[in-house]
Amino acid sequence: VVVYWNAPTSEDDIEGQVTLVERVVSADYQGLVLAPDQALALITPVRRALSRGIATVIIGSPLPIPAGGNLSYILNDEEEGGRLAAQRVARLLHDRGSVALLGINPDVSGIMIRARSFEQTLARNYPDIHIVEKRMGSFNVPHEQQVVQETLTDNPNLDVIVALMWTTAHETLSALDTSPQGHPPKVIGFDPGARPPFHEQCLDSVILQDTRAMGQQAVELIHARLLGQSVPELVSLSPKLITRENVDSPEVRQMTALDWRPGRQSRSAVP
Amino acid sequence: VTFLPSQRLRILVGSLLCVLLVLALVGARAYLDSPRRGLPYRDSFAKGNADEWKAFGGAWELADGVMGNDSDERGAKLVTGSPYWRDYSIEGDIKLLDSSGDAGLVIRSSDEEEGVDAYSGYYAGIRTQDNSLALGRAEHGWAEVSQLNATPRGIRPFQWYHLRLLAYGCQIVATAAASSQAIPTSIAITDRDCISSGRVGLRSYSSGGFWRNIVVRPITHQDLVDATADASRRESPEAENPNTDDSEFPGLHNLFQRGEAHVRSNVNVQSIGSLRLASVAKPSTATVRGVVILTSPVLFVQDSTGGVYIPQPEGPPLKVGDEVEVSGEVHPGDFSSTLKHAAVQLLWARTPMPAVSVTASQASTGKFDATFVEVQGRLQTKERGPDNTLILDLDEGSQSFRAIVNRGRGDLLAKLKPNSILRLRGVCVVDLAFTRSLTPFVLLLRTTEDVQVLAGPPWWSARNIIAIGVAVILLALIANFFYHRAEHWRLRAVLEERGRLAHEIHDTLAQSFAGIGFQLQAIRNRLPEETPTVHQQLDLASDLVRHSHEEARRSIATLRPESLESEDLLFALERCARHMVEGGAVQVISARDGDLRPMPLRITDTLYRIGQEAIANAVRHANPKTLSIRLMYDKNVACLLIEDDGTGFVQGGDLRGFGVRGMRNRAHSISASFQIQSALGEGTRIRIAAPLPPRVTLTTWPQFLWKRFREHRIHAQRTRNSDSHSYR
Repeated sequence: VVVYWNAPTSEDDIEGQVTLVERVVSADYQGLVLAPDQALALITPVRRALSRGIATVIIGSPLPIPAGGNLSYILNDEEEGGRLAAQRVARLLHDRGSVALLGINPDVSGIMIRARSFEQTLARNYPDIHIVEKRMGSFNVPHEQQVVQETLTDNPNLDVIVALMWTTAHETLSALDTSPQGHPPKVIGFDPGARPPFHEQCLDSVILQDTRAMGQQAVELIHARLLGQSVPELVSLSPKLITRENVDSPEVRQMTALDWRPGRQSRSAVP
Repeated sequence: VTFLPSQRLRILVGSLLCVLLVLALVGARAYLDSPRRGLPYRDSFAKGNADEWKAFGGAWELADGVMGNDSDERGAKLVTGSPYWRDYSIEGDIKLLDSSGDAGLVIRSSDEEEGVDAYSGYYAGIRTQDNSLALGRAEHGWAEVSQLNATPRGIRPFQWYHLRLLAYGCQIVATAAASSQAIPTSIAITDRDCISSGRVGLRSYSSGGFWRNIVVRPITHQDLVDATADASRRESPEAENPNTDDSEFPGLHNLFQRGEAHVRSNVNVQSIGSLRLASVAKPSTATVRGVVILTSPVLFVQDSTGGVYIPQPEGPPLKVGDEVEVSGEVHPGDFSSTLKHAAVQLLWARTPMPAVSVTASQASTGKFDATFVEVQGRLQTKERGPDNTLILDLDEGSQSFRAIVNRGRGDLLAKLKPNSILRLRGVCVVDLAFTRSLTPFVLLLRTTEDVQVLAGPPWWSARNIIAIGVAVILLALIANFFYHRAEHWRLRAVLEERGRLAHEIHDTLAQSFAGIGFQLQAIRNRLPEETPTVHQQLDLASDLVRHSHEEARRSIATLRPESLESEDLLFALERCARHMVEGGAVQVISARDGDLRPMPLRITDTLYRIGQEAIANAVRHANPKTLSIRLMYDKNVACLLIEDDGTGFVQGGDLRGFGVRGMRNRAHSISASFQIQSALGEGTRIRIAAPLPPRVTLTTWPQFLWKRFREHRIHAQRTRNSDSHSYR
């Protein structure tokens, strides 16, 4: 089995990811596993892959293409992620306080789903917790630094910051680390690239999607499809709330481990 | 130089055809340049057809038998007609869509291009701002003569007016009335250095407009006099009765209250881009201001931060370019927002905002959702969509997208060729209701004018290449056919000439020889036997005459045309041989091997001539007992074998006088191989193997043509180099 593994060097390099998909489509590959950086721009390349009969599995965040035929989804349950974040905020604030919701990035459908889920859960179950600031996010670091600074300046009594992207969470932690605020807000982040930096006092928790399981199941799903076996069109994997208490548990260590070589872990993966 | 009757006839017919062709060309030119061609003209708006009109700016669209320009552009034009029209009038009904600006008709128009006064011609229009009928001349600039108080009640938007503009010589007259029955307001001018001819057009300036019942007629001087009289009658204070039925325009009232609306406008206006951060959990309302970028099939409004979709708005009729204030219920989306249950207030009319030029890849990110953009793409497919729309599927780079446009004016679908490069201006929409998950975005175009063809399809399309290939094959086959016919005719002419020579020799030389021989014999018979020397001399002379007579007969046999088809080549050679050996003891044997195949006349004739020469050589010089003629057919070769059992000759010896060189040259002229085998006392064997042309098919014709070409060249070269006596 030949596996071509690649990704653009920057998460907002959409053209780069489109080019990679086109390279796979034009080559003689039988399967494609794709974690899309942009929901719309990848519609055409993925449709071209499907029209060439390439078994395709979209992992992480969905595309607006219905599953079926050669297309399957293995997605992170973003609704659950939004709910976990809202419940954690409620627990931190004892059902009363102010929250800023940062890193709203429409390029990634999953982020928008988790933002809506978070907002609706708060509005439905915790009416005394108010979202006082909502800001769009991107993978551009200077932009996120500016957004965080403006948020902290405009809302000095903020209780919690929920950062829907790790770029935003990272810049928020950096800003709070140097901030003179006496009671800095707690930070809840999503999808760190590695083990969460709990040495940062402001970081309360992170919500992590199981990318290892996604990759593993995507390869198994393509293999099964090539063998002619029936495969599910949609698999949803629940994210996990990681706190200082459970960050060293075997389950979390496996999810956050960076060594993905086969045999080093109990299950191998190809995202 | 004298001509045969048939040649004279041909020259006469050719001359007549040339004269007729010249007359036809002159007539066609005169017809095309005629100042009355296409007149009178009446529009086909009611039938939904306006293909003959060409737009220069504006958003022209045909609906319900009325041509409309839903744009406040300055100087949008729509022209049609012949540039050679001279003295004519144009009239029609016109309705203004705004209380500022004007709309009217253009006459004697030429050199049109997009721009404010970018044409040459005369324009007459009705104007709301100063309540006037304006007439002037445009020469990529504007010189106006205006007439105030066009009607007693003034020029009002959303009301039909009847406008007539006529040009006769250098006199231009414009008339306007609230209806075709009312007494019109007129302006007449004389332009000394006038524009003499040109097309007609519809034009608006800083206002949208509607046009209908456009009629163009040729006019006479009497029409000019009548129109001028109307102008002087206008001086009388008779009241008019304009059609003031405004009930069909519910937005008119709002339109006139726009200044008030501006005063009452909401001060808590927020940017359209900020709507995306509105709460999704709690319904909220918002007020935004922006410019209308699309009215049909849905309303979109845009400001500097983005665009917003407004379904089923409540408010006045809007057109592209209007600045509005919208209040409604916010429904934030991923890339843009929707204002539902919205009330729209018209602030003021403006020209449409320019499109943002983006690539399809940029539009595919959703960052330009609900905004007015300009995108290029290569047309892949086109089809008719629901609700009288056209759907265009395009590609650009790695992205595909779709454009939806109202059918509008003209048959755009027929004009657009697949693989053309198009530039499209429209509202970028990523909503799944429009994209159906097939493409990342859809462009909603205002009118067909938003489609611009930058380049047609490349000529090397598969269809064109196949067509060119077929055409080349056909031309080659036709050329080959004519070449064969010409060659055939040439050979026929040669054979006919030979026949004529044979007849001449037979009728003159042979007859003379016969007569001389007869006379010599008669002289000998009368001479006494006592003169043996004279007898010997007469016998010698008789022998010489007989020999010459036989030579003449042989020449006649050689020159006489035979019916040379491939099937009787063998028979012709056998008959020729039997003629030559007539009265002798030589036995002639002929045989054929293989399946008979048709041969070109050229090959048949050449084989016949070589065979004749070989037979003649055998009869003259070899003194054979048997002469064998064999013709053998193989798949691609015809082989002629002439064999005798005569005295033979030493190979490599002196063969002058045997015509061998001529036979060899003839053989080479048809790419045949030529072999002579002989030895003293063992006879002579001559073998000619001629390749036969393959049957011409689509796959073999290039090879066949090349071979024929080579043969032709070799033949021509050898003809130049060879001794002409070799053929005799």
